[in-house]
Amino acid sequence: MEPDDHSRFKWFALVVVGLVTLGLCPYFLPRFFTYLLALILVTGLVATSLNMALGFGGMYQFHHAVFYGIGAYAVSLMLIKSGLPIVICFVAAPVVSAILALLMGFICVRLSKLYFGMLQLSLGSLVWILVFRWYSFTGGDDGLHGVPVPSWISSVTGSYYFTLIVSVVSLIIMYIVLNSPFGRILQAIRDNSERSESVGIQVRRHQLVTQVIAGFFAGVSGMLFVTVEGSAFPDLLSWTLSLELLIMCLLGGWFTFFGPMLGAAIIVSLRTMVGAYTEYWTTVLAIILMLLIFFLPEGIIGFIETLFKRSHASPGEDL
Amino acid sequence: MDFLTTVTSSGLIQQFLVGLSRTTILFVVASGLSLVLGVLRIPNVAHGSLYMLGAFLCYSFATLFGKNPIGFWVAIVMAPLGVALISLAAERGLFCRLYDREHLMLLLFTFALMLLCRDIVKMIWGAEYRSLAPPVVLQGSLSILDLPFPKYNFFLLSIGPFVALALWFLTQRTKIGKIARAAAVDRDMVSAVGINVSWVFASVFVIGCFLAGLGGALVAPTQNIAQGMDHTIIMESFLIVIAGGLGNVWGALLGALIFGLTDSMGILVWPQFSIVFPYAIVVIVLIFRPKGLLRATW
Amino acid sequence: MRKIYPCLRFMSLIIGIFLLPGLVFAAGDIKIGIIDTYSGPPSSYGLDVLDGFKLALNKINSKGGVLGKKITFVTRDDKFKVDLGLTEAKELIMRENVNLLMGTINSAVSLAVSDLAKKEKIPFIVTYGKSSSITGSKGHKFVFSMNENTEMIGKAAAIGLAKRPFVNYWIAGDDYEYGHAIADAVWTHLKRIKPDVKLLGQSWWKLGEPDFTPYITSMLSAKPDAVIIATGGAGCIPFLKAAKNTGFNRKVPIYMHTATELSTLRPLGLDAPQGVIGTANYYFYYPETPENKAFVAEFQKAYNRYPSFGSLIGWYTANFIAKAYEKAGKVDSEKFAEALSGMTIDSPVGKLTVRQFDNQLMLPMFMGVTKKVPGYDFLIATDIVTIPAAEIMPSIDDIKKTRSKN
Repeated sequence: MEPDDHSRFKWFALVVVGLVTLGLCPYFLPRFFTYLLALILVTGLVATSLNMALGFGGMYQFHHAVFYGIGAYAVSLMLIKSGLPIVICFVAAPVVSAILALLMGFICVRLSKLYFGMLQLSLGSLVWILVFRWYSFTGGDDGLHGVPVPSWISSVTGSYYFTLIVSVVSLIIMYIVLNSPFGRILQAIRDNSERSESVGIQVRRHQLVTQVIAGFFAGVSGMLFVTVEGSAFPDLLSWTLSLELLIMCLLGGWFTFFGPMLGAAIIVSLRTMVGAYTEYWTTVLAIILMLLIFFLPEGIIGFIETLFKRSHASPGEDL
Repeated sequence: MDFLTTVTSSGLIQQFLVGLSRTTILFVVASGLSLVLGVLRIPNVAHGSLYMLGAFLCYSFATLFGKNPIGFWVAIVMAPLGVALISLAAERGLFCRLYDREHLMLLLFTFALMLLCRDIVKMIWGAEYRSLAPPVVLQGSLSILDLPFPKYNFFLLSIGPFVALALWFLTQRTKIGKIARAAAVDRDMVSAVGINVSWVFASVFVIGCFLAGLGGALVAPTQNIAQGMDHTIIMESFLIVIAGGLGNVWGALLGALIFGLTDSMGILVWPQFSIVFPYAIVVIVLIFRPKGLLRATW
Repeated sequence: MRKIYPCLRFMSLIIGIFLLPGLVFAAGDIKIGIIDTYSGPPSSYGLDVLDGFKLALNKINSKGGVLGKKITFVTRDDKFKVDLGLTEAKELIMRENVNLLMGTINSAVSLAVSDLAKKEKIPFIVTYGKSSSITGSKGHKFVFSMNENTEMIGKAAAIGLAKRPFVNYWIAGDDYEYGHAIADAVWTHLKRIKPDVKLLGQSWWKLGEPDFTPYITSMLSAKPDAVIIATGGAGCIPFLKAAKNTGFNRKVPIYMHTATELSTLRPLGLDAPQGVIGTANYYFYYPETPENKAFVAEFQKAYNRYPSFGSLIGWYTANFIAKAYEKAGKVDSEKFAEALSGMTIDSPVGKLTVRQFDNQLMLPMFMGVTKKVPGYDFLIATDIVTIPAAEIMPSIDDIKKTRSKN
């Protein structure tokens, strides 16, 4: 085995190089790609938060987009209607999502697997239909546009940096949480909830906390979405978006931490690229998804990891 | 613009009847979904697309056989059969390789099929709305307590009990139904006894999809046949199946009744918020009985 | 660490692929980016606009284009989704470097893109979005509406309905922004013109409602003199179908905007109910002027079908764009916006002017009644009354008030 310090240093160096590159992006990339990167970060962040509950918590998070959309609506409504300082609005939005996650989670964690997912789906659609329907408050299906975000944040470069900083901080926090004792217990529950229960772990409480954390970071992404796009609309809470987020997790690899981010990057850029040439982008997505399920069920990063493990197990083969 | 509508008793009965005929469609579609979910454990998101496909096929067959009365009846039989055929191909070609996968994978796989179906429908039938008239016998309306009630809705009302009985007979009285129920509980056990589970599953899947197609064909004359008609029905069917109890045919009937009736009665009480009622009712049911009203099959 | 290498490699590959097409675009053309819904139920409207637009554009380009440049366009399908539409708008502005944006049938997308257009200072011409806030409370220098809006529909309907002897009304419609906006506009103006009208009740159904029978029976039990139906696009066809099946149209007079439009009546064929009162902005058979006949003939020759209102929108939008660039004298957003504001052109429905104050096109409205007429395999409008544009334009004072509120 290599010395642990060495590998840790390489890891650290790579992260720094990556961050510096990302930080310099607006200087050498055309404006559109800066925007697209911001969008990828936002989508990647919500997918990562979804994966916290899905891949690490083993919960069937079928309607995660609700927390994302509520975060976006919370920040937009506060900016438009309340006149509170912007910092308070930005902090309050994820909290609103977390509270919703707590309420929904409280009802859902009594169940597991498919039942959990289905229950979340029904609760989520009730929230969606309320947002969709409540014209006087949420603007109904037209949504809220031209949200007054100060221009130093909402400009293409400004929103990129804001998104970059917030999402990197959020990712670090999520990473720490997942590698803490709490995160390990969570994975133990995922792998075998009965056994965990029998050794005295409070399964439901851990799952509920995960729901709240995942909901909180989905709310953060919703808030970031508003800074990037300046709009909030009911599509952000739609069930289809939830399914697309699941695809991102699956594509990148849902047992890995960075998988959802990679999945989001691929899906968002493909959507923009393919969408520019054909109306049938969804066909492309469907075919990718089918191939993925048949041939790459662990996702791209999962697949690469398996390859590495195999070559490490029998190094003679590769040499 | 607030007001209170005075509800007449005849209006109430009308609304009730209408809610029932709406329930029929919801039940036909949801029972198929429930069957597939209960026995095969596939949360089939593409179920709504099959419903849409059924409606489009019904339109095409009806047009193909000249728009004479018989054409419609041929179409209403042929369309679900066509859907069943397509689903058979999908099951044998794709699904039967995926049964041991996670539910999540199956969900996403059917989502892929749903996306594909949407684009295929767009390629074949184009973007225009299609419209199909009910056969002459069922055109126009009967008068109930001075208010008109379309004849076609009576036809729908009469279909519901047939489907329910047929399903009950199928699951409780036939050999395939018994095997399917047993396989839903423990599929290894059933195959250990020497029964070819694979074909049982295929037939259940095809029957479920047939029902989606039937729902689509039945609904075709009452609405415009267009892309996007898969969207609401799939959400509603899922809610019905969840509220009724996964995999339970009677549960699907109960769920459809609750959903259809709260929807149509809600209009009388508070029209502006009537849409929220069915969703709220399902959530209330689930808060108290998280696994649905009736016992699930597994 | 191993996790990051492939990540980065993938990212750089994708970015590389992305940069490619951005480099290849013909310099010197005027480039228009069209965002509209080309899949799902509303796509037939978007395609009609596009066909009319292409027809006029080919003519303009074959005469040498504008300012010595050809006008080209690229389309993007927003799939009726706001997030997709926004991303596409940004892509068109920042990557395709379009000079002008056009679209879309979804009001929410229109409003979102309009906000972007304001920030980016790119003219945006709304073709089919009908929200009155596009040029009203949310209007700005760079946004133009080539379509009638909910406020205009309301005024036109109120003027037309006030002439009829109805007093007790029922209002029903699509439970989304468009439906409510129309209902509110009709009712406010009707009350203003004819203060003794009474509202017995309202019903709202969700978008894409499969079955209208429950609503119809509940409306009938209230026995109104007339019913105002506020549905758009997708809702009109099944509603008219249900009206015919229940005999609703024979029991109560129905008013519905777009009920007499070709896009609504053609798909219904002869199954449409007769006697429905409807407003529309264009009929290919009315007005019977040489200009209209020429346009219909030209369109039929190119596409082998009758032009709908959408086709007309596409047609005059292209002509407005060409003329505005000519007047501006160069390809410049500010100059273009100034030129288009207040501009007048000839069209099959007479002279059309973009109102200087809010960039809203002044469109006349026609009220007619559906009827079976030999020679057509669908119903057409008869007893057509023209309501001039000047009477239905939203009041400038009202717009000033709503704008100052924001």
